[in-house]
Amino acid sequence: MIRARGGLLVATCMVSPALTGGAMLTAGAMPLAAQDSQFGIRGLGTPGRFETVRARSTGGAFAPFDPMSPLVEASLADLPQLTATAMGGTSYRAAEAAGATTSLRASRFPVMGLAGPVFGHLVLGGGFTTYLDRTWDVTLRDSMLLRGTMQPYSDELTSDGGVADLRLAAALRVGSRFALGAAVHVLSGSTRETAGRTFDDTAYHAIKQSDEVRYDGVGVSGSALLDLLPALRLTVFARSDNRLRARLGDVVTTQTDLPNTVGGGLRWAPSPSVRLAGALTRRTWATAGAGAFNTLSWSAGLEVGSGFSPLRLGARGGQLPFGAGAAAPTELGLAAGTGRAFARGRALVDVGLEHLERKGGGLSERVWTFLLGLTVRP
Amino acid sequence: MRALRVAWLAATLGAGATAACVDRATSPGTCPSFCPSGAIDVVDAVLGTSIARDSAFRGYVFPDHAVAMTAADVRGVVDSRAILRTSALVSGLVLNTGDTTTSPLVGADSMKLTLTITRRDTATHNLTLKLYRLPVTIDSTTTFADVESAFADTLRAVNVDALLAKPGGVDSATGDQAAIDTTSKFLKVTLKLDSRLVDTLYVPGDSGKLGIGVRVGADAPTSVAFCTRENGCGATVAWFVKVDSIKGTDTTLIHKQLAAVTLFDNYVFYPPTPPLDSTLAVGGAPSARSILRVALPRAIRDSSQIIRATLILVPAVPVQGAPSDSFVVEAHTVLADFGAKSPLFFDATRTDTTFVRVGATDTVRIEVTNLLQFWTSDSTRPEVMMLRSQGEGGHPSEIRFYPSAAAAYRPALRITYARRFPFGEP
Repeated sequence: MIRARGGLLVATCMVSPALTGGAMLTAGAMPLAAQDSQFGIRGLGTPGRFETVRARSTGGAFAPFDPMSPLVEASLADLPQLTATAMGGTSYRAAEAAGATTSLRASRFPVMGLAGPVFGHLVLGGGFTTYLDRTWDVTLRDSMLLRGTMQPYSDELTSDGGVADLRLAAALRVGSRFALGAAVHVLSGSTRETAGRTFDDTAYHAIKQSDEVRYDGVGVSGSALLDLLPALRLTVFARSDNRLRARLGDVVTTQTDLPNTVGGGLRWAPSPSVRLAGALTRRTWATAGAGAFNTLSWSAGLEVGSGFSPLRLGARGGQLPFGAGAAAPTELGLAAGTGRAFARGRALVDVGLEHLERKGGGLSERVWTFLLGLTVRP
Repeated sequence: MRALRVAWLAATLGAGATAACVDRATSPGTCPSFCPSGAIDVVDAVLGTSIARDSAFRGYVFPDHAVAMTAADVRGVVDSRAILRTSALVSGLVLNTGDTTTSPLVGADSMKLTLTITRRDTATHNLTLKLYRLPVTIDSTTTFADVESAFADTLRAVNVDALLAKPGGVDSATGDQAAIDTTSKFLKVTLKLDSRLVDTLYVPGDSGKLGIGVRVGADAPTSVAFCTRENGCGATVAWFVKVDSIKGTDTTLIHKQLAAVTLFDNYVFYPPTPPLDSTLAVGGAPSARSILRVALPRAIRDSSQIIRATLILVPAVPVQGAPSDSFVVEAHTVLADFGAKSPLFFDATRTDTTFVRVGATDTVRIEVTNLLQFWTSDSTRPEVMMLRSQGEGGHPSEIRFYPSAAAAYRPALRITYARRFPFGEP
């Protein structure tokens, strides 16, 4: 069963394979959600990845060069025809804190995009990407002194939804070795949040409160792509998001500054069937307030094989923007994947497997994510 | 090759679909580092001055309209007796089908009187019921003093505990019987009055109407509640009458059974209920109710969730009566505030209760969470509470609480509530 919650598309149990397959094909019509993390509960949320399955299978290293990854607009300039893509991911997460391990699972559909040349060398693209995932369900057990007696209780705090990045991008190939791109981003989303408490003593009625929080913000981005050599491509990108406003009804409850992003990547193709890439990204998340950190992320990846069945490998590392303690939590990951073309290359199915390990503030997470992507070139 | 590709696609989509059916997002919180910054804030407060404009009124249910009538024997405290009047018998009976004339009743052989006891003190032993003949003129204005002299000569007496101890609850010598209804748990006691007594009871001039009084006694102070006609289980009388056959010279007496029902039942007691004063009276006969007007702070009413509310009342005097006269006090909300005539909101989910014990002077606490939650869910509801006793008018016991005018002991509300959760904050 697929249901829309808080403006995001979330997969829940009782899924029929046929329905899921169909849903993945059409999921792009709605804002999408991404994997979540315990590290995002305390802060604004877990930042999404602006990567398709192809880019994510290389640890994100190919994201600056992948036209359908919504990270670098300039790469859209290489898109020869109208292309649509969507991806889904299922994460198996083990969170370990204070000696206790909790297994968590979630399915998300974090990226959808549509792009194609319009006239001349101008290519336009648009789509949805998860900007912040704010889905979690936390249970607590504690007690408090009420009317002279310690009263044990159980709390459950939930948030379901997130913030999506709605992007409209344009890319122009200025010369045979140079392309420029720019995009505007509208950040929009909502979360359905609940807070509940059940006392062991039934003389105290259960507490159940809920509300819907809406979010909005805007951002702009720009990028450039330069072929230094026939086999060596350099890309640089920058993005600035202004602030994220949270509203309850018509009342703005919080306003949080969002980060600026700068980054670059280098891709080397020593032969037509081998491509190597690396990327570096810095985001100034520390502006988001206490408990937030600037992050620097790196990735390196390899794609072997030309034609319809490439093999992809990659690694990534860096920091997470939100966490407890004086230093940012760290993240290290490995990924692998492949793809298959159908209908003379008009349909591409990409699969990937990603393993992440996150640490910080006494908490560690190990995440296995199965990725499935579909790209259509009508 | 094509089949291979189709198989690859099916396997991939199938794996994706299978993997998608796995959401499990609940995790134990590692607080405060990895929990939401907001927390549920629970506050416990005593609202000492939120109850005001309180008063008591009497006359809601009179004893003769109550669903029970109390007979009690607590020396020096209360003496209560049940009184009832039965219906008249027909003057004649049609003995043969097709007859156009009726045969007159000329007397009675015997009768059986059945009383239903809805509450009794099982801690006392040798519960005894004593029947007395009362004038058939008894009515709702009859007082204890009016009939006290009629309670001199006992018609019949039966030891209910002894009767229950007999096989099948039947006394074969007297014809009395007692049985407990397995459904309602009510105790039905049937007393048989033989011809010797019936001759004095059946008065043709009264058409067989009977006035009967019932006293109770036991080894210790005791009290029982009889079911009344208002509750559908009032006393019943089965007459075994003699009918003149009137067939020519045949003067054979025919024996027939006729049923009579209770037309009026009531109970009288001494001392009478004292008149209302400045206290908040609940219970008694005729029944008294107390109205309490509550002014909830807007912050609680509009934006908090009440999870427990307790009405605190201090008794001004201990409740008088037998231990088994302890009763339940109900707190109702009202549909509209018309003072004494405020219509009560009868809904089991909007009614809170507590048990009031005879002789106790402890502070009475009524959990009124349901009422307050009802008020906060609909701001158009009047914040008015009406206290009444369960089985109103069926017992003389009454409790009186200090009113809001008594500053040191005034009614108070203790409220535990949760403030609005800070949604929308990271």
